[in-house]
Amino acid sequence: MGSADEQHLGTDQGRILIHPLAPPLDQEQAITLSSSNSLGTLPAPTASGRFLHRHETLRGYLLLSPTLIVLALAILIPFGLLFTMSFWSMSGYDMVRTPTLGNYAAILEQPMYGALLSRSLMVAAIATGVTVILSYPVAYYVAFHVYRHKMLWIILLTLPFWTSYLLRIFAWRVVLGYEGALNSSLMGLGLIEAPLQAFLYSKTAVTIALAHAWAAFAILPIYVSLEKIDKSYLEAAADLGDTPARRFWRITLPLSLPGVVSAFFLMFIPTVGDYVTPAMLGGPDGMMIGNLIQAQFGPINNWPMGAALSLVMLMAVAVAGAVFLLLTRLVRR
Amino acid sequence: MAEPQIFNRHNRTLAAYAIGFAVFLYVPILFIPLFSLNSGLYQRFPMDGITLGWYAQLFTRGPVFDALQNSLQVGLSVALLSTVLAVPAAKALSRAVLPGKRPITGFVMLPLVVPGLVFGVALLVVISRLGVPLSLYTVALGHVVVCLPFAISILLPRFEGANRSLEEASADLGENGWWTFWRVTFPNILPGVVASLLLTFTVSFDEFIMAFFLSGTDATLPMYIWTQLRFPQSFPSLLALSSLILVASFALVFLSLWFARMGRTDTSLVSR
Amino acid sequence: MDVQDQIGAMKEGKLSRRAFNRSLFALGITTVMVPLPARRAMAAAEDQATYFTWGGFDIPDYFVEYQAKHGEVPNFAAFGGTEEALVKLRSGFVADVVHPCLSGVPRWVDSGLFQPIDTSRLSNWPDVIPELYNVDFNMKDGKPWLAPFDWGQTSITYRTDLFEVKGEESWDMLWDPRYAGKLGLLSSGGDAWWCGAIKAGVPLSQIDSEEAFQKISAAMREQRPLIRTYTDDTTTLNQAIAAGELVAAMTWNSSAVELKAQGVPVKFAQPKEGALTWVCGVMLHKDAPHLDRAYDVIDSLISVPSGVFNIGSYGYGHSNRKAFDGFDDATLKGLGLSKNPVEILQAGHFQTPQTAEWEARMNSTWEQIKAGF
Repeated sequence: MGSADEQHLGTDQGRILIHPLAPPLDQEQAITLSSSNSLGTLPAPTASGRFLHRHETLRGYLLLSPTLIVLALAILIPFGLLFTMSFWSMSGYDMVRTPTLGNYAAILEQPMYGALLSRSLMVAAIATGVTVILSYPVAYYVAFHVYRHKMLWIILLTLPFWTSYLLRIFAWRVVLGYEGALNSSLMGLGLIEAPLQAFLYSKTAVTIALAHAWAAFAILPIYVSLEKIDKSYLEAAADLGDTPARRFWRITLPLSLPGVVSAFFLMFIPTVGDYVTPAMLGGPDGMMIGNLIQAQFGPINNWPMGAALSLVMLMAVAVAGAVFLLLTRLVRR
Repeated sequence: MAEPQIFNRHNRTLAAYAIGFAVFLYVPILFIPLFSLNSGLYQRFPMDGITLGWYAQLFTRGPVFDALQNSLQVGLSVALLSTVLAVPAAKALSRAVLPGKRPITGFVMLPLVVPGLVFGVALLVVISRLGVPLSLYTVALGHVVVCLPFAISILLPRFEGANRSLEEASADLGENGWWTFWRVTFPNILPGVVASLLLTFTVSFDEFIMAFFLSGTDATLPMYIWTQLRFPQSFPSLLALSSLILVASFALVFLSLWFARMGRTDTSLVSR
Repeated sequence: MDVQDQIGAMKEGKLSRRAFNRSLFALGITTVMVPLPARRAMAAAEDQATYFTWGGFDIPDYFVEYQAKHGEVPNFAAFGGTEEALVKLRSGFVADVVHPCLSGVPRWVDSGLFQPIDTSRLSNWPDVIPELYNVDFNMKDGKPWLAPFDWGQTSITYRTDLFEVKGEESWDMLWDPRYAGKLGLLSSGGDAWWCGAIKAGVPLSQIDSEEAFQKISAAMREQRPLIRTYTDDTTTLNQAIAAGELVAAMTWNSSAVELKAQGVPVKFAQPKEGALTWVCGVMLHKDAPHLDRAYDVIDSLISVPSGVFNIGSYGYGHSNRKAFDGFDDATLKGLGLSKNPVEILQAGHFQTPQTAEWEARMNSTWEQIKAGF
């Protein structure tokens, strides 16, 4: 996880917490504590201080508990059941609950699953890579070259992300279609005689649509990490005679790398499992693992297999993520 | 704060690139309103003619409005619920000295990084095992899970940045915790709360994958659009509907992001 | 990942009085705006029956009678395929009336979720063509499980200006290498697999044999490289045919009708091997919460006005024989329909019920073929 957490922790530890929801009982202690804090000294670990500390922790958990309960119910139980179900099998319309590794064996044995999985990882990785690379200069521009309308820029760049998912996909069909905008303008310019079929129903179409759909998600983390860079480093480097390119390579890029990593994950993970984009833009060769999972829960009606496939996909994503993380660590060094 | 000399140069290439990038983001989406005005049934160039007929037709279609109402209901409940859950959570995560805060933050943010498909499927499995009938409630549950990380992410910086000395002063002056929260903390985080409400509403309103797996009789708007895709005659009026939604969600998101960033001065932007 | 930082990407400042008012204002607008429409429709919707049907059939045009009687149309829920619908019903979803197809009836009945229909409660029942429902598996003690409503064919819609037919119209058209990359197919196994059987020369009565699986798979694998897209969404198919992106595609009757209405030169082929004929209709949920109105839904669906709409606007056949009276023979022939549907049903290939195991195997084989394996 990222650097911001560490910062929060760092600041929190040096802080004396006066909680607004603290019961009146604490007030006297609070006053003494806050005055000692204003003198810049840490309070001695008195008994009451320890009590307050533990109390704070308790209250923190209390405040967190509703969210944690909701999420635990909605995350742990479903995934637990998904895991269990992945060892079941189907007989007609009924699930057989005798544990079996059959689903996983089938995933290993039949080439279709591996092929679709690796295609999904490839498409998602390419879309993410392209998006991150293309977004970086924009984030850089907004972070370093825009002064007065920063907010406007950020809002403008993130707005399209909030338009309907289905409609964004549909919009791409209008652009890439046979009589779509791209073909029409190419023909209008006299570059091609007849409409090209190559655009729609291909992995390329899926990649383009995914890249477009998630661009906003990629820009934000990069922007934030660039914005956080202490500009005195850059000034110092400039004073020491570094060229702009060198400053970028030695300071800006390494310091913004956490943002790039976040952007990669935020976009890569959801796109691996997408099934609507490939279904609508992919054609026969653009099918992805998500389509197959959806089919298991739909027409094929083999939920155990669908569960196993979902978990395998999740594992593959985790492994791909770990590899990526490892690579960035190596590069940073 | 004086800007470092090295950045003051206006970079035309980069500016042009950024503008081009923004155009690329918007152009495909703008075809939706464009073709909602097309008089032909099929979306192709050259356009057949201009008409407002699809918008008129929209108002004669009952199910559209049912779906719209469902989506508004779900969106509103999800926005309220996830924000109400997120406020104390963000407060705890931002302030309390909390052992295990990092794993908890990671856990809370998990829905952001689990593919929606897997999530929807996992929830469907549990819900159908429990014998709970699929309904707008199950959709709302799914949406709350998806929206919580968004709400918390928006509220957390608000709490972190809130001026703590005001709360301390309030406590010093003898206000109890409850009043301090409502009179000092809450106004302070209000822009974040509004932003969270609007943003979670928008997320829920547009969410498709969870709704696909978790909805029963009552379709949300994206579900309705999905089923109607198979039905060519109604498609142009769906484009009209989508254009209206587009305008509305742009307005909502613009508002919410505006609130979220409201009050930020230029110095606070630069120094972090 | 410091996600919380990124999406927010914001830092705190002080809240001015004006800003505070502005946010209250916006909060007010959203809360005031939203509950109003939500409140309005609730009362009406609750006492109407729910009709769970294919997307596209959830429209008022089929409910002229129902509306006259109850002032409102039923509640609609839509699905994209019958399997998807059954999965949802089995997981506990209750609708009064559901719209599956005749060949699925045994499996749907096996789910234990339905009740036979008391036809004496349907005023339009005497006009329903008996051949559409009177088969063994559909009758229980003289009551049908499924009341037929629409029927039609799965065949080939092709561009008469762009597709050159060699000899007779035939399923070979969708296997014609001259038009590689310009052919489209319905993606559900319920259509494609059966048409594949016709093309492969497998009698539909033997579609469950091992040999049939081999033959049909081989035919579908051979066809795959020629296919531009597999889709169940009619909009996509029609649009692509209108644009000339596809010159021939497997479709239902409605695609040809809609394309002709838009002035696109197309024909709904009558392949020499025969088209695939299907009958769909409505079933009654055993726990139908609005039983009386559910019967009104069914009665409305099999009425003459909805039949006329079904034939005229969609080009599908209807179960009410009187509905055909207003159409001339040439029009009906062009749609692959007839005033005497029995002829067509007997001439064509009729979908027959299969076991759940067969459906599962067929669907998973078909998904594999579509994926290229």
